[in-house]
Amino acid sequence: MGYGDVQMIDEKGNRVDGRKAGDLRPIEIEMGVVPVADGSASVRWGTNYVIASIYGPMEAHPRKIQRQERAVLDVRYNMAPFSTTDRFRPGFNRRSREISKVTAEALESVVLLELYPRSKIRVEIEVICAEAGTRCVGLTAASLALADAGIPMTDLVVSVASGKINDVVVCDLNKEEDNYGEADLPMGILPNSGELVFLQMDGDLSPEQFQEAWDYNMNAAMEIHVMMKEAIANKYGGES
Amino acid sequence: MMGQPLVPTLLRKHLAELAARDERADGRGRWESRDLSVEVGVLERAEGSAKVQIGDTIVFTGIKFQIQTPYPDRPDEGGLMTSVELRPLAGRHIEPGPPSPESIEMARVVDRGIRESGCIDTKDLCIIAGEKVWQVIIDCFAISDDGNLFDAFALAAIAALHNATLPGERFDIGEDRPLPVNKTPIMCSFQKVGGRFVYDANREEELGGDERIHITLGGDDHVHSLQKGLKGAFTASEFAEIMDAAKQRCAELKKIVDSL
Repeated sequence: MGYGDVQMIDEKGNRVDGRKAGDLRPIEIEMGVVPVADGSASVRWGTNYVIASIYGPMEAHPRKIQRQERAVLDVRYNMAPFSTTDRFRPGFNRRSREISKVTAEALESVVLLELYPRSKIRVEIEVICAEAGTRCVGLTAASLALADAGIPMTDLVVSVASGKINDVVVCDLNKEEDNYGEADLPMGILPNSGELVFLQMDGDLSPEQFQEAWDYNMNAAMEIHVMMKEAIANKYGGES
Repeated sequence: MMGQPLVPTLLRKHLAELAARDERADGRGRWESRDLSVEVGVLERAEGSAKVQIGDTIVFTGIKFQIQTPYPDRPDEGGLMTSVELRPLAGRHIEPGPPSPESIEMARVVDRGIRESGCIDTKDLCIIAGEKVWQVIIDCFAISDDGNLFDAFALAAIAALHNATLPGERFDIGEDRPLPVNKTPIMCSFQKVGGRFVYDANREEELGGDERIHITLGGDDHVHSLQKGLKGAFTASEFAEIMDAAKQRCAELKKIVDSL
């Protein structure tokens, strides 16, 4: 069966789970879910369930990773063995390494690293249950966990992906849609400035479709940002 | 895995002083557990799952199934595998990397309690004798380590097994059916802190403690697995004392699991 052979959107524009093209899956944020960590957050997004925890700032070791003028972020993205339909075998994984790297670089763009010379901040991201879009959920959860740890940042990072199924651009693909997806555009957005700190894409999008996916992500990020501020305000008080 | 604690000597002295007054750092009695909760069916992609929280220690266990070829000498028996992942998410003392000796010990001790209790009859896992059998994989995963991961993993493992469904439909070999689990083995762990054993040591007590003993009991107080870990020596009467405590606590925990 080739791409687009399965009808994923009906004539009324309803998706398999009843969403319209621009709709997000339900999102639930919880702060402080790892009691022994310096900061933590979990994000349930559709049936994705991701937990992020922060340790540090602490002395950076081994010495060779130390930077005289700033902190380094030590980011690990990992999938739990029971997070996928077929058991995910623990161990070295090229996909996880790449996601860890780009996630670290996204977060390094917002954390005020120069406040903590020669130190290290550990960012641990564990996918407990995977649906589709775990890297976006992971990056969003990590920025919430950094906020929970009280680490100064210029902005939160909101990450969301849009894609294409049956030649229609839709926001936030779920698992079934992802299986037949024709394109995927995940972005990491700074909601206050509209800048991007994370960007990937694969598949096939026309210039018009690309713009549409981009706009869906921007709008969704603003929506998610409201939920993130609410979750933080719920724990710490103040205006969301 | 375990980083060198910064002030083990001071911590040990503090815990010994408390022990002399028959007290514990968090005010508990010697055989008293921290608050404990068990939830099952918490992981969407697992065929069985449980979340256990003991104080600030939080773990998940997920059950997955695979199909394998049986061993030639046991053609009608399925397999059982237990793995423990101590990811650095769960504590600043946990380092990334391949499985540590500590996590392997945990996995093997949890595995022995389940395997030796006979709660899973491996013949129930046979699909076609000599060709296809189920392998049950118990994946233990720590979210927050504030001590006594052994008991948290063992409890989550047996609760998740009771919650598990054999996914026949997904593998095109008949209908889904509940995994037959005949017994409820329960582990109780004790650590020597300040010269005497206590139940359910927290992370501070683990850091400032000596040897630990893990006891897994099945029905009618039958012993299914024992493990002594870490440096230290204990007497027969010390062991008899913790065995009594284990019998009482295992019965309480068994009731919790059986009522889920």
